[in-house]
Amino acid sequence: MDNKNIENIIKLSDDLRWNIGNDFHDSLAEGIYADASSIVEETVSTGSQKSRATLDAKIDRIVTSRTWGFPIMFLLLALVLWLTIIGANYPSSFLSWLFLDTMHPALKTLATGINMPWWLNGFLIDGVYLAVAWVIAVMLPPMAIFFPLFTLMEDFGYLPRVAFNLDYLFKKSGAHGKQALTMSMGFGCNAAGVVATRIIDSPRERLVAIITNNFSLCNGRWPTQILIATIFVGAVVPQYLAGFASLAAVIGIALLGIFFMFFTSWALSKTVLKGEVSTFNLELPPYRPPRFWKTIYTSLIDRTLIVLWRAVVFAAPAGAVIWLISNIQIGGESIAAIMINSFDGFGWLIGLNGVILLAYIVAIPANEIVIPTILMLTVLVTGTSGGAGAGVMFEADSALATGEILKAGGWTLLTAINLMLFSLLHNPCSTTIYTIYKETKSVKWTTVATVLPIIMGLVITFLVAQIWRLF
Amino acid sequence: MEQYPPLLALSLFFAVSAVLFFLFRPEKGFYWLARKNINSRKKVIIEDVLKFLYHGEATNNSINIKDLTRSLNFREQQIFESIRQMTEHGLIHLEGENIKLTAEGNEYALQIVRAHRLWEHFLAEKTGFDKSQWHTKAEMMEHQLSRDETDKLAASLGHPLFDPHGDPIPTKTGQLATQKGKALSQLEPGTVGRIVHIEDEPEVIYRQILAENIHIGSQIKVIENTASRLVFHAEGESFVLAPIVAANLSVAVLEQDETPEEGVTRLSALKENETAQIVQISKEIRGERRRRLLDLGFVKGAKVQVDLPNPLGEPKAFRIKGTSIALRDNQSSKILIKKID
Amino acid sequence: METKVGSACETCTVFNAKGLKKLGVNTDNFDFVVALAGNPNTGKSTVFNALTGLKQHTGNWPGKTVTRAEGAFVYNEQKFKLIDLPGTYSLLSTSEDEEVARNFILFGKPSVTIIVVDASRIERNLNLVLQILEITDRAVLCLNLMDEARRNNIVVDERSLARKLGIPVVATSARFNQGIPELIQTVSELANGKIECKPHRIKNIPPAIEKAVSKLSREIEKVYPGIANSRWIAFRLLEGDEQIKEALRSGEFV
Ligand SMILES: Nc1nc2c(ncn2[C@@H]2O[C@H](COP(=O)(O)OP(=O)(O)OP(=O)(O)O)[C@@H](O)[C@H]2O)c(=O)[nH]1
Ligand SMILES: [Mg+2]
Repeated sequence: MDNKNIENIIKLSDDLRWNIGNDFHDSLAEGIYADASSIVEETVSTGSQKSRATLDAKIDRIVTSRTWGFPIMFLLLALVLWLTIIGANYPSSFLSWLFLDTMHPALKTLATGINMPWWLNGFLIDGVYLAVAWVIAVMLPPMAIFFPLFTLMEDFGYLPRVAFNLDYLFKKSGAHGKQALTMSMGFGCNAAGVVATRIIDSPRERLVAIITNNFSLCNGRWPTQILIATIFVGAVVPQYLAGFASLAAVIGIALLGIFFMFFTSWALSKTVLKGEVSTFNLELPPYRPPRFWKTIYTSLIDRTLIVLWRAVVFAAPAGAVIWLISNIQIGGESIAAIMINSFDGFGWLIGLNGVILLAYIVAIPANEIVIPTILMLTVLVTGTSGGAGAGVMFEADSALATGEILKAGGWTLLTAINLMLFSLLHNPCSTTIYTIYKETKSVKWTTVATVLPIIMGLVITFLVAQIWRLF
Repeated sequence: MEQYPPLLALSLFFAVSAVLFFLFRPEKGFYWLARKNINSRKKVIIEDVLKFLYHGEATNNSINIKDLTRSLNFREQQIFESIRQMTEHGLIHLEGENIKLTAEGNEYALQIVRAHRLWEHFLAEKTGFDKSQWHTKAEMMEHQLSRDETDKLAASLGHPLFDPHGDPIPTKTGQLATQKGKALSQLEPGTVGRIVHIEDEPEVIYRQILAENIHIGSQIKVIENTASRLVFHAEGESFVLAPIVAANLSVAVLEQDETPEEGVTRLSALKENETAQIVQISKEIRGERRRRLLDLGFVKGAKVQVDLPNPLGEPKAFRIKGTSIALRDNQSSKILIKKID
Repeated sequence: METKVGSACETCTVFNAKGLKKLGVNTDNFDFVVALAGNPNTGKSTVFNALTGLKQHTGNWPGKTVTRAEGAFVYNEQKFKLIDLPGTYSLLSTSEDEEVARNFILFGKPSVTIIVVDASRIERNLNLVLQILEITDRAVLCLNLMDEARRNNIVVDERSLARKLGIPVVATSARFNQGIPELIQTVSELANGKIECKPHRIKNIPPAIEKAVSKLSREIEKVYPGIANSRWIAFRLLEGDEQIKEALRSGEFV
């Protein structure tokens, strides 16, 4: 092409721009809208009805009202969690019965039957198989309930109202109101939440949203919260209050996460990501009745497949690693035991223990496997018999039995609370870290997003532990 | 297992936190102060002196060394040194007590001013920084942009003539567009005009103007002008300013036949159950933000209503062209409307 | 040339149900590229799912889709690759959140663009529609969410809308698979050149600007003879869009 001609055109456009003045864009937009309204006038008739469906308007008045707006948000969160906790119980015990109590011994018998060498038998069945089975039994049911419920709210059109209600707080924290939407996505999966931040068009506010997304408890962490709360928090109150107390504890952690999200956004906006809030404009769509069964079905199938895939990809190698470090000995002690012992001192300082810290290192790839790893390692250290030697993920078929193991491992209420806090405040999982890198294309911000929550987690658990011990 | 007494652990922790706090706290932390010191190199001092001289000459004030040491935030020693160097390079010359820019110095100063104002324009158009931060940011950036970069910046912004405060941006060859405007403090009661410029220095006064939520481009009518205060109406609201503050606002006086817009108020003042028509979006909303509002349907003549108040007061949702759209006050206060019944 | 557009099913041969096969993510060796454009939350992803049999996430809030997704279907032995795009309010902005969609509509050179609009909010949706029509002359208006419009007593005269816009209009309720066969049929006819469009041009522009635009677009046509969207390029140049300047230099438009 003729470059000179093109440069001439560009030059001409620069000159013309001066002649037509500053209002070009305004005029163009007005012109387009004028065309649009003349077209609509001749082709669309609005009939007798008022411009806005009255039912929609009524719902909106309630869910964004001064009195009810915030209580309703809170109650909906509580309801979803309550249904998840209650509902997950039954499938969970069924799955542990199936995979752990029935299939595992059967596989062991089979392996012995075909004379499999002990190390291969242990590596495959006590390591890889059990890790995968554990993840499915403990993690799948809460996820399979939480996700469809969440999707129903999303399809109904409630999320934009949450953003609408909370925007003022975001503005005060120097963040974008649409961060409420990405935060909600983070409740499902932080990696998805990070990708969703693309709807925020100010780069600064988008970074704030990316870095703080980890404070939304993701699907991989809900089950940990629920399990620990059920075992330890539920146990310190009278039986009839147990369910209520554990629910309150889980909600408390979730709200604490939201608080940290606001706080960190604010702190970032005042320091490294300095800058003022930009603007916020959000379209509030009409409510749409979700198609109940279809939503339940698709999000169940969708999620199930994704979780199963992740379980295989992450839990299987993790199981193998756990079995190996528990069985390879250096100077008469297994690698796992050596690591646990060396972490114990620091673990004690922050109200946790070496087992938990080691579990978090093994579980960097995926949060889902933290609890199984902790249980298995606890069994290893305390010598509580799970039957089949070192490195076997223990076959706990009920929360009660799990509690027994943990208490035998020296756990107290403080350990439980700090574990819940640490599960909220630690580095994002590997997938999320990678996603953050892809979205920001910056090693610096990926590092900040990874390290910042760990530092906060260590500080908070440390403070809680010390103050707890003061009394 | 080794066990530490909690009190000891806690005190250690707080001691470490305190040290970190004093090192790194925003603005005043020792770390930042040290960094800032390193940054105020010779180039910065020279350029700031040139700029100061330029502004002095533009307002017909003569400037001597004392003025410099008093007004600029550098050590006396540094300023003397820079003046010596500038004389050597032929950027300034002395006329008795007073320091004057040479033609070369004037050209250099204009380049700095150009970079500064372009950067402010850039911040206003393309970033989310608040008005109150544009100036400080530009004060740093003006020393970092090379001529080429400045030209590129100008091109990418479409060679703007004025910065967001209404100050003219010098062109590459140093020309300045003229801005006709009188200080608001000098206007008679009854005068109608349009705000064309808001001075951003000194910062104390600029912050007061910002706090009042006064916008460039607003049409105003002076109501009262006494030694103690100045009252004017704009966009359906009444503003009261101290004369010293009003002096930092420039107003282009409108001729009698340019009839003022009657009954124009801000969208943020629209009440529930009222309907209004959009008159215009204030010039203070620029660039991407302005385009987004237009695309959402906030165009001249569009009908608008309050759809939903907010539990926390802000943002409010407005019904426009069949849809509910939530806006924060910082935008809705810059959309001008006229109520209709 | 006479334009022959109207409500799709008068001008078209009947939908051939046996000729349709949803292919999911298998997008190799396609004959045509079809883009799904439209305002946020108008049901693009739902239409996409209905056409390809995939399960793109949908949700009732603007901004659910943020990356582009691809899928495919076969109709009458021709393979169509379908692109689901994030919603956008306008092609006139340079905002980052809309970049993916804008770039594909402008530079992706789709064979056919399906513009999905909310039938209850046609006026505000037309803002984008009229902009897209300045760029392409092979587009179909997918009047989605018809069930809601009907419930709100909104009646659309599809035929005169098609005449005004100069492109075929198909009414759908994608969530209930209504109107999807007609949409497929129309897309196929557009792709094969059986329907000729004569897209609407933006009219209500102040004379001074109109003059500048036509002057500029004449110059552009001199350099790139036969270019369809010279007016659009002129609009963007007047706005000072750097990206368009680059595209013009590299000839990415032709
Ligand atoms: N009633 C009704 N609802 C629909 C129809 N089509 C889509 N929806 C719903 O409208 C909402 C938005 O649909 P999406 O397909 O996610 O919209 P989109 O255009 O892809 O949105 P973005 O990706 O955010 O731009 C969802 O809740 C859909 O279930 C329809 O024909 N009728
Ligand atoms: Mg979509």
